Amino acid sequence: MDLAYTPEQQDFRAEVRAWMEANVPKEPLVTLEREDGYHQHVEWERKLASSNWGMVTWPEAYGGRGLDLIQWLIFEEEYYRAGAPLRVNQNGIFLLGPTVMEFGTDEQKARFLTPMAKGEVIWAQSWSEPNAGSDMAAINSKAIRDGDHYVITGQKTWSSRASFADWGFGLFRTDPDSKRHKGLSFILFDLNAPGVTRRPIRQLHGDPGFAELFFDEVRVPVANRIAGEGEGWNVAMATAGFERGLMLRSPARFQAVAERLVKLFRQHEAKAAPAAREQVCQAWMDAQAYVYNTYAVASKIIAGGHIGAEASLNKIFWSELDRAAHRTAMQLLGASAELRHLDGGALNAWLEGYIFSLSGPIYAGSNEIQRNIIAERLLGLPR
Amino acid sequence: MDFTITEDQATLTQGVRDYLAGVHTPEVLRALDASESRRSADVWQGLTEMGLPGLLVPEAQGGLGLSLLDAVLIAAELGRAGVAEPLADTALVAAPLLAKAGNQDALLAAIAKGDVKVALPHLVNPWVADLDGTSHLLSGEGKALRLASCSPAKAGVQETKVDGPRLSPGNTEYTPLDSVDPLRRLFAPVAAEGVEVGSADALLDHAALITAAQLVGVADAMLEQATDYAKNRSQFGQPIGSFQAVKHHLATTVVKIEFAKPVIQRAAIALEEGSPSASVHVSHAKLAASDAAWAMSETAIQTHGAMGYTYEVDLHFWMKRAWALSGAWGDRAFHLARIDAAVIGGALPIGPGHSFA
Repeated sequence: MDLAYTPEQQDFRAEVRAWMEANVPKEPLVTLEREDGYHQHVEWERKLASSNWGMVTWPEAYGGRGLDLIQWLIFEEEYYRAGAPLRVNQNGIFLLGPTVMEFGTDEQKARFLTPMAKGEVIWAQSWSEPNAGSDMAAINSKAIRDGDHYVITGQKTWSSRASFADWGFGLFRTDPDSKRHKGLSFILFDLNAPGVTRRPIRQLHGDPGFAELFFDEVRVPVANRIAGEGEGWNVAMATAGFERGLMLRSPARFQAVAERLVKLFRQHEAKAAPAAREQVCQAWMDAQAYVYNTYAVASKIIAGGHIGAEASLNKIFWSELDRAAHRTAMQLLGASAELRHLDGGALNAWLEGYIFSLSGPIYAGSNEIQRNIIAERLLGLPR
Repeated sequence: MDFTITEDQATLTQGVRDYLAGVHTPEVLRALDASESRRSADVWQGLTEMGLPGLLVPEAQGGLGLSLLDAVLIAAELGRAGVAEPLADTALVAAPLLAKAGNQDALLAAIAKGDVKVALPHLVNPWVADLDGTSHLLSGEGKALRLASCSPAKAGVQETKVDGPRLSPGNTEYTPLDSVDPLRRLFAPVAAEGVEVGSADALLDHAALITAAQLVGVADAMLEQATDYAKNRSQFGQPIGSFQAVKHHLATTVVKIEFAKPVIQRAAIALEEGSPSASVHVSHAKLAASDAAWAMSETAIQTHGAMGYTYEVDLHFWMKRAWALSGAWGDRAFHLARIDAAVIGGALPIGPGHSFA
């Protein structure tokens, strides 16, 4: 164990810091859950990509820098330190990208990865259906083979980014007689294809962040299927592993939250409840614990290890610490917490953040599902 | 930057775990509980033959010269096995402090051989553990850390004045205190003078770190016991571990335990390197480990149901150790105050970019 950064890592940090200081927008962007904000965020993705900052761990051939996970963590720290915008490209670079790299053909890698890294194509994820939420194996939307196409019919819901994104990925039943985990395939589709209807869903904060998707005989080339027909469940589990595991929520995000929370506490110290002190300290401790754990996981992967069901521990930890930190902030704000804008007209970021934090324990597999995974796969309790 | 333990460290830890699982069984704990002294020369002899007292003693004095990172890994195994002999205090707390102090070669050599036990009085605790079996005091009753001995011929330390009953191994004049943990041996503090060998704060940080490490081992042991029980105990025609209510309680504690471990390792590195922020990281480790062990103890007894409330089931040894160690070497308020001063007080740089400040 050596917890010092190498000179190369320090140089890399300095390089990221300099670029961020020169390029991060001075004014916060409009939320990416609204159309105008969405386009501002896409523009930011393209700016990042123009200097190959889109996804530093990807091979250079696909627009990355071929760096390791420790460098990625350093990049993320500088990204959040600079207060850079949220990643509208997240479904692509963190979820679908690694999936295509692991399971895709060379043709698929060439076709999908570079536009993804460049921010030219923004991806929506489409797993859930009205009757298949936590129970994803209950998926019922069908993709019926017709020559070199699939014909998709059915409905997806709570599809994140789908209100404005370009393409989507999800699981579809390619064997209409199959049940549960079998007979599903992982298929990529153009959200603007004939037969796709998107109906934005107004979220808790009032903006349309995700959408319902209706498929009415949508023709999708067979070449858009990742891995074999009927192998979709395993591919999706790998994607979900990427999501719960290392990359979806980098620790820097929560370090930034804890830092802001400490500042907020200092402003409200005189009227803060006694318990608030401890909650603020806890927010810092939890963010740091998540840092150490993530560095440990990254180091393990660099040394040739892999992350399995332990990913479920991560997902529970970050989602619950995020909610707790924002709840503390809301309580510190007291009677001002409900105001959408605070002094000077700035958006009440704690309110927005608290609302968003409530989704953490639900998406990417609810925390109840994660606890089942921990109990069954790590502790070996009976199903 | 590399946040992994080495293969050697993993092998040593596993070796100690296997050894203790074989010889330091719950039956041994019950035998100790039934004895007058709660201590066993045989157990100490076995630990000595494993080379454990000398792990952190420099090689020149017959030890292995290992680091505080090794120490926390081994301390967790002592917690897991419910070891009651004062090995952690002597080998994992006193030895590195004496090695750092310098000029303690004879004493360190005696520690490595298992011939000497060191008791650790400190203002933060209203007791001293294992005072009756000790020949040396490493005392943090004031600002300085002082070493006192009653057996100069043996350890090569000058005889020093001890206020209170005279120190000698096996002395029964001390005032024993009754702990809920049947295997703890606690006594009212004695004040001791002696030669200055460092700062009392250093003793507190080292002891708090090793206590935190023992606590995660204690928690792991309780998790294993509760998981086994949940697999084997049937109600409503099925193992209770198949019920989500039980699964989710246990899963919640796994999260707490697993996220305490890297905090302890980070604190061990900070203390080993003499980082100015080491105390903050030790406090973080102590809080995380105590919270995990305490939560685990309540989840474990709940999983065991009424059986967990009996003296017959082994769980109580670990549950009581968790309560005891959580309050030892700085309680929740003490360590939280140090976090508060650093984080809210502003002494420690925080935020992204300060991951290892």
